[in-house]
Amino acid sequence: MAVIELSNIRKSFGSLNIIGGVDLRIEDGEFVIFVGPSGSGKSTLLRLVAGLEEVTSGNILIDGEDVTDLGPADRSLSMVFQSYALYPHKTVRGNMAFGLEVARTPKAEIERRVQAAAASLRLETYLDRKPKELSGGQRQRVAIGRAIVRDPVAFLFDEPLSNLDAALRAEMRIEIAKLHQRLGATMIYVTHDQVEAMTLADKIVVLKDGAIQQVGSPIDLYEKPANLFVAQFLGSPKMNVFEAAPVNGGLRIAGTGQLDLALAQAGVTKVGARPENITVAAAGQGNIDGKVDVVERLGSDTYAYIALGEGELVTVRLPGNARLSVGETVGLVLDMAELHLFDAEGKALAKI
Amino acid sequence: MTIVGKSKRSPSFRRNRWMLSAILFVIWLYTILPLFYVVVSASKSNNDLFTTFGLWFSSDFHLLQNIHDVFSYQDGIFSRWLLNTIGYATAAGVGAALFSTMAGYALAKYQFFGKRLVFAIILGAVMIPQTALVVPLFLLMSKVGMVNTPWAVILPSLVFPPGVFLMRVYADDAIPNELIDAGRVDGAGEFHIFSALTLRLLMPGFATVLILAFVATWNNYFLPLVVLSSAEYFPVTVGLAQWYATATVGSGGGAALFTLVLAGALLSIVPVIIAFIVMQRFWQGGLGAGGVKA
Repeated sequence: MAVIELSNIRKSFGSLNIIGGVDLRIEDGEFVIFVGPSGSGKSTLLRLVAGLEEVTSGNILIDGEDVTDLGPADRSLSMVFQSYALYPHKTVRGNMAFGLEVARTPKAEIERRVQAAAASLRLETYLDRKPKELSGGQRQRVAIGRAIVRDPVAFLFDEPLSNLDAALRAEMRIEIAKLHQRLGATMIYVTHDQVEAMTLADKIVVLKDGAIQQVGSPIDLYEKPANLFVAQFLGSPKMNVFEAAPVNGGLRIAGTGQLDLALAQAGVTKVGARPENITVAAAGQGNIDGKVDVVERLGSDTYAYIALGEGELVTVRLPGNARLSVGETVGLVLDMAELHLFDAEGKALAKI
Repeated sequence: MTIVGKSKRSPSFRRNRWMLSAILFVIWLYTILPLFYVVVSASKSNNDLFTTFGLWFSSDFHLLQNIHDVFSYQDGIFSRWLLNTIGYATAAGVGAALFSTMAGYALAKYQFFGKRLVFAIILGAVMIPQTALVVPLFLLMSKVGMVNTPWAVILPSLVFPPGVFLMRVYADDAIPNELIDAGRVDGAGEFHIFSALTLRLLMPGFATVLILAFVATWNNYFLPLVVLSSAEYFPVTVGLAQWYATATVGSGGGAALFTLVLAGALLSIVPVIIAFIVMQRFWQGGLGAGGVKA
């Protein structure tokens, strides 16, 4: 259990700045997810917390103690790696016991903890196998087991599910969520998958180019993104963005020139609408007209891609049984209450 | 695998295969002929050695007698030489493999100031022939009073630059960085990680360097010749050369030594062959399988 504080963390490799001044406080027992596209510095930030990389400047505090200059061994953290990073010549038991053996834990205690971890991860029957005799999901469970037995102050996960196939990923996601509920431990989890971020996190930290874009609960970030990047990064399919210009006290969506919105806000240049906040009506009945370009039927939902005047596609999320045919001209109705407004820098603006 | 236009039956494939086989045969002959000559000659009496056809056995099979003579000549000093050689080669092989593995691992997995320079110097050292270093080594050894001791042979043989080069390349590939990171997070120190986690994955490389250094020391002639003067410290190479010199210089009784030299040469090959067979099981792939997702 631990509170982890990062203050003004910077990391550069030579002249290349990876992390540029990050401040963050992670509460005790919180499940925090670092999310961002590749190159955003999320993995580097995690490795800095782990002590696997040295900070260029700034401080890392765990439970108020400055651990900036301590190595990974002295931080009492556990880490689960993307590639599992199991010790290939050791058995499952040996993999889990290694950290405890290093810490000179008594043999009986090691055995007790390994058994307990194996039981909770359904690995009891595999304890004497080598990693190469296990499936991908089992390997990752061993890696998680190795992290659990050490009873760390916090868990670090570096994209732990990205090597698994889709079905297994969903299953392991639930296991990790349960693990957090059961242990109540502080967890930091890095992913580029916004679904994992939305479903697992108490708090999401969105990173881009080594800087925090926004910190907040999944729903907060989804409903009130601080900027265009966060708005488009979270949510699938991603948010539609229209060029906009103020006209006669209202807003005209540029590019189509067909729509005036009764929302006046100085400096608005972009308007965002999530696919579920747009509905389809008969041509001419909506705020904007377009032609159905592609229809994807997922069973539960239907995603319709509607081409506006200049070939720009708008994604609309409709019920699974929605009747639409390709080539049809339809009107799009935007839910005024759920629109997002952004200025020229992409910063979110309040609605009036 | 089938390559279009080069199927098994096509004339060009057959021609190619025939040529490759012929080249391989020549190489095989070149390798095997001296060995065969040693086996044949070691089985002859001294008289037959000079009077019968060199590449085939004579009617008088004299091998066991020759071997017996080798071990009894000069109070059986040959077995002493053989033990010396085994000792020198084992010490040098294991030591060189250990140092090479550590150095190669460090060069592959750690970032430190001067790393490129160190590696460049090691690469450069690969180019320097051992022979060129013998005289400076002798002067060095005489300064510290190690001339005519086993250390004079073993210590220089521990330095094996090709092994470092080999292990650096091997470690680069065989050890995933995340494995080292996992060990660090588990609280292990760097040496503990090396000895408990990564050394195991480096064993095929270790075995390769071990056998290369072992054979290099086994066959080394010039260094022990220069730094050793007492016959009791000689390895087989120097000892046999001494017998050979006696055989060519001396008249009459000396000439009988030729068969002993040949039988001794045959005997000196056997342990190397055994070493190769024993070490074979270390050359296996898939040691790291399952550890990390490729």
